[in-house]
Amino acid sequence: IFFVHRASPSARGLCIPTRAVCDAETIFALSSGHGRCGVAVVRVSGPASSMVLRNMAGLTQALPPPRTALLRRITDPKSKELLDRGLVLWFKGSLEGVRPAEAGEFTRRAFHAGKLGLTEVEGLGDLIHAETEAQRRQALRQMDGELGRLYQDWSYRLKRCLAHVEAFIDFSEDELIEDGVLNQVDSSVRQLETEIERHLKDERRGERLRTGVQVVIAGATNAGKSSLLNTHRVPPSRGTTRRPLVEREGVRRARQRVEQADLTLVVVDSTQLPPDPQLVAAFLQQHLSTVLPSPEAGMTAASDKVLLVLNKSDLVPEEQRERTEGELRERPGLPPACFLSCSTSTGLEDFLTVLQSRVKTLCGDPLSGAPSLTQARHRAHLQQSVQALNQYHQYRDQDLALAAEGVRLALTHLGRITGRVGAEEILDIIFRDFCIGK
Amino acid sequence: HSDMRAVGKWTWLTLKLHLLRHNVLSFVSSRTGSDFTRRQYDVIVVGGGHAGTEAAAAAARLGAETLLITQKIMTIGALSCNPSLGGVGKGQLVREVDALDGLCGRAGDAAGVHFSILNRSKGPAVWGPRAQLDRERYRQFIQSELLSTPRLTVLEGSVDELLVSQPNPEEPGHHRVTGIRLVDGSHPILSSSVVLTTGTFLSGSLFMGQTTSPGGRMGDAQSCAGLSYTLKETLGLRVGRLRTGTPPRIVKESVDLSLAQLQAPDKQPTPFSFLNTHTRCKPEEQLPCYLTHTTPGVERVVRESVHLNCHIQQDAKGPRYCPSIESRVLRFPGRRHQVWLEPEGLTSDLLYPQGLSMTMPPELQLRLLREIPALHRAEIRTPGYGVQYDFVCPTQLTPSLQVKSTQGLFLAGQINGTTGYEEAAAQGLWAGVNAGRTALSLPPMALSRTQSYIGVLIDDLVGRGVTEPYRMFTSRAEFRTYLRPDNADLRLTPRGFEEVGCVTLRRYKKAVSVRDGLQEALMALQSVALSSTRWREKLVCSLTLLYHVSFSLSGLDLLQYKDVSFEMLASAFPECLSQYFEYSQRLKIEAVYRPHCEKQSREMERIRSEESLSLPSDMDYLSLPVSLSQEVREILDRVRPNTVSLSKTTTNHISTVYAILVKCYKYLQIMCLIDKLGYFLCQ
Repeated sequence: IFFVHRASPSARGLCIPTRAVCDAETIFALSSGHGRCGVAVVRVSGPASSMVLRNMAGLTQALPPPRTALLRRITDPKSKELLDRGLVLWFKGSLEGVRPAEAGEFTRRAFHAGKLGLTEVEGLGDLIHAETEAQRRQALRQMDGELGRLYQDWSYRLKRCLAHVEAFIDFSEDELIEDGVLNQVDSSVRQLETEIERHLKDERRGERLRTGVQVVIAGATNAGKSSLLNTHRVPPSRGTTRRPLVEREGVRRARQRVEQADLTLVVVDSTQLPPDPQLVAAFLQQHLSTVLPSPEAGMTAASDKVLLVLNKSDLVPEEQRERTEGELRERPGLPPACFLSCSTSTGLEDFLTVLQSRVKTLCGDPLSGAPSLTQARHRAHLQQSVQALNQYHQYRDQDLALAAEGVRLALTHLGRITGRVGAEEILDIIFRDFCIGK
Repeated sequence: HSDMRAVGKWTWLTLKLHLLRHNVLSFVSSRTGSDFTRRQYDVIVVGGGHAGTEAAAAAARLGAETLLITQKIMTIGALSCNPSLGGVGKGQLVREVDALDGLCGRAGDAAGVHFSILNRSKGPAVWGPRAQLDRERYRQFIQSELLSTPRLTVLEGSVDELLVSQPNPEEPGHHRVTGIRLVDGSHPILSSSVVLTTGTFLSGSLFMGQTTSPGGRMGDAQSCAGLSYTLKETLGLRVGRLRTGTPPRIVKESVDLSLAQLQAPDKQPTPFSFLNTHTRCKPEEQLPCYLTHTTPGVERVVRESVHLNCHIQQDAKGPRYCPSIESRVLRFPGRRHQVWLEPEGLTSDLLYPQGLSMTMPPELQLRLLREIPALHRAEIRTPGYGVQYDFVCPTQLTPSLQVKSTQGLFLAGQINGTTGYEEAAAQGLWAGVNAGRTALSLPPMALSRTQSYIGVLIDDLVGRGVTEPYRMFTSRAEFRTYLRPDNADLRLTPRGFEEVGCVTLRRYKKAVSVRDGLQEALMALQSVALSSTRWREKLVCSLTLLYHVSFSLSGLDLLQYKDVSFEMLASAFPECLSQYFEYSQRLKIEAVYRPHCEKQSREMERIRSEESLSLPSDMDYLSLPVSLSQEVREILDRVRPNTVSLSKTTTNHISTVYAILVKCYKYLQIMCLIDKLGYFLCQ
C-alpha cells in the first residue's frame, strides 16, 4: 500500500487553533515495520505530497478523489522504472523538497494541525508507551553494541572539537586559551571526516545484513533455475538471502533486476557446454555477456557479484567435468564456477560454501572488523555530518562563528543517531578542559 | 487632582536633578522621600542595581506609575564589582537592552574610557563590544536618567515585607502581591506589581578570611531579612545558595606598570547604543589596560592560607568561569593565570585587578599581590571579599519573569541565579516591561530564544534552572548567526515599539529608517547582476574564486566573498549604490550571514511554534489521567515546564522518554505526547 496524505486540520477530533507551521517541507517514512513484510505502508506528508503522488503513481492528470483507494503501478519518479504495484490513498489538505521524517514528526504535525484530540492522544500515549518500552530496550541494546560505541565515540570527539572552538570564541580574548587549540581541532575534524567517509563507503554491507541480500538467479530456459531455487530450502547464511526468480522472457526487465542485485547466480546447463574444455571459457564469456547487463553498467563478468552455476553435472562425463574445472580455475577473467547437480545434489555442498563466503563478503561479518552501517537513516545523517564538517574548513580562517556552525550542525546530525547534545554539555567540556578565570 | 500631583512631582524631580549636580541628593531625598511619595503605585521596584534601574525605567516607559525603592540613592547605578560593560555574549545583551530602549548601552557610551570590540578576527556574529567604565560617570548617567524619567519616583528605604493577598481566581497562582511595607514600620505602599531585584542581599553574608558578617555588599546596610522570610515562608519558594567574590582594589601609584603589558583600546571607539554615533570619551582620551600574570609564589600563598579561608571551604556553588584566584589555583595547579589591571575611571587613583577575586585575610591578600612582579610594592585600598547569598530557583518563574505562584511578583538579576551586569540589566528590563503590562492589565509577553539573547537567557533560566551563577556565552544561543550585535535594533526595536510599548518614538523612527534603508540597499545590490568575467573587469582586483563560476552573480552574491567590500561594489556602480555608504559594514555582514540564517529559519519556526504552546503552571501532573511513568510525573511536577518547547532538555536525564503535556488553550484540556517515543510509531 502506498499511502499519500497531507497534514491538515481535520473535521475529526478536537481542532486546535495553532499557526500552520513546520509544514514547509515534505517528509516521508516507512510507517510499517522494517524487514520482510507482506504489506508495507509509506506515508508522505507535506505540500509536495500531491506532486509525489502524481509522479510516482503515474497520475498525469487529476488527483484521485480524496480517501479513495486506487490500485496503481508505482514507479521511480526519475527513471520511471516500476517499483511495485500498490494502493494509493490521497488525503487532501487545505494547505516542495522531501526528506525522511524525524523522531515523532508525524505525531507532532498531527498535533499542530489539530488532528489529535484528548482521548486519541491518551490512547496514543498508552500505545507508544507499551510499544516503545520494548523498542527502547531494543534500540538501547543496539546502541550498546559496537556500532553504538563507534557513533558515541565520534559524537564525543565532535563535542570536544565544538567545545574547543566555542572556548576559543567565548574566552580566548580574556583567558589563556592556547593558540594550538584550533590547530588540534583542524586535525581532529579532518580525522573524523576520513573515518566517517570510510564508514560510509562500506557498500551498504550493514544495511544488507539488516534487510537481506538481493540474489538473482538468471539463465537460459531449462538451465535449472527453478531446480536450484528448490534445492536449497535452507538459507546458506543467517537467513539473509532472498531469491526472486527471473524467467528468460522479459529480458530487459531481467537485466534491470540483475543490475540492482547484490549477487547474481548465472545457471548454465552443463550439457550445453562445448565438449572441448579449452573452448568452455570463451563459451561462458559469451554466455555471460548475453545474460548480464553491459559492462558500462558497472557489471563485468569478473565482478565478484556473479557466480556461475554449471548445473546438470550428473549428465556430463566425469572426466570431461574434471578437465573443464581445471581449465576454469586458471581463468582469472571469469567468475567462480561450481559444477553441481540439482537432481542428485552432487556438488551442492561446495556450491553452498562458495555462496556463503560470497554473502559474508557482501554483508560484512558483524562479529569482526569495523562495524557497518545498519540503517539508511543513519547513512543520511552521517553524510550530512560530513558535509557540515566541510563548512568548518571552508570558514575556519574567514569567520570562526560560521566555522563553528558547521561543527555544530555536524553534531546535530550525529546527535539524531546518538541523542541530542545541548549547550550545557559543551560548556561542561569547556570548563573541564580549560581554566576559565574571568 | 492629577495635575496637582504631576506638578508636585515634577517640582521634586527638578529639585532632585538640581541637587544631584551638587552631589547632595542622598541627604535631601532620604529626609524628604516619603513626604513626596504616594501610597499607591502601578509598579514598585525594589533595588537600584542594574536590574532594578532597567526595570523601573522600562515600567515607566510603558506608562506605569513606578516607584523605585533603594537602600541608598547614592548607590543607584553603582558598579559594585568590575568597572566594565559588555564582552563576548554580554555585549550582545547590552546591544539588545539598548534596542529595547534600556539604559545600560547609553550609560556605557557616556562612561566608557576604553572601548574595544573583542573577537574582531572571529566573525561579526561573535564580536563582543566591551568598554572599561568610569564608575562615577556611569552612576551619574544612570541617576540623572532615572530622575528625569516621567512617572518614576525614587525612594530611599529598606523593604521589610512583601504584602500578599488572595489570588485573582481567574488566573493561576496561590497569592497576589499587593505592595510592600518599609522597615521603618510606616504605612504600607500599595501596587499592582512588584519587581524584586535584591541582588546578593537575600540572606547575604560577607566572607573575608575567617570572619563572616551579614550583608550583600561591603559598606552597605544589612540584608533584607524580612523579604527572605516572605519569599521562603509565606510564598513557599524554593531557594538555593550561590557565592561570588570581588578582588581587592589597588592604589594605582603603587603599581609598577612598566612590568605589565600595555593593552591599548580600539583607535576608534564603537558605541554600544544604536542612538549614538560616538562616545563621550574622545578616542585620544581613552585609558589603557595592563596585562600581567600570576607566579608560583601566588600559588604558594593560596595553599598556605586555605585553612584561614572560610569562603573557599564552604560548599555553596560558585561559578566555574569566574572563580576566585584561590579556586583557580587549587583546580588548575602549576599554571600561569592572567591578571588584567583595569582603570577605575578618569580621575580614580585605583586599579581593578580582574582575575584576582579573593577571600583570604587582608594581610595575606597583600602578600599574594606582591608575589606578582608588577605589584611587588602594591598597596590595597579595599580588600577583596566573598559573598554568599540566596537565590530563588528560577524554574519557579514564567517566561515573563513572574513568580508562577504569586500574581504580580517579578524577579530579576542575581536573585534568579545569574551573574553579571548585562544579565541583570536584560532581566530587569523584561521584568519591568511585564510588571508594567500586568499593572496596566495587558497580557504578559515572552521573548523567543530564536529572536534574542535576552530570550535565550530567560528561557534557560525558567526552563532549565541554574546550578551555578548563570552567565551568558555566545555558545548558549543556537541561532548565534542571526542573533548578532549588529542587527539587534532590527530584531527588537520595531517589536519593542509596536507590541511591547517600551520603546520611544524617536528610537523607533530611527530603527525603521535603518531597516528600510538596508532593505533598499539589499535590493539595489541584488539588482546589479553580471557574469563573473564582467565583475572581474569592473572590480579591477583579481578574485580567484570567480574563475570557477559560470553563471551570473548579483552584487549581493559577490559581497559574500571574503575579499569583496561594499565600497568596491559601490565604486563599480556608484549611481545605484553610493547612497548606501552609511550601511556598508552592516550590508557586508548581512550578505555573508543571510544564507546561513535562511538555512536555520525552519528550525527557528519549529522552536517558535513550540514556544507558543504554553502549559498551565498549576497542572496536576501526579494525577493526570494519561499514561506516564511515575518518574516522568515527578520530573514534570518538579520542573513545571512553561511551554511544550522541545528545545528544552527539562527531562534530559531520561532522554529516551520525552513527555510533553499540552494545554489546549480554551478548554484546558490536557494532552500527552511522548515525543521521542512517538518516533518509533512512525517507523
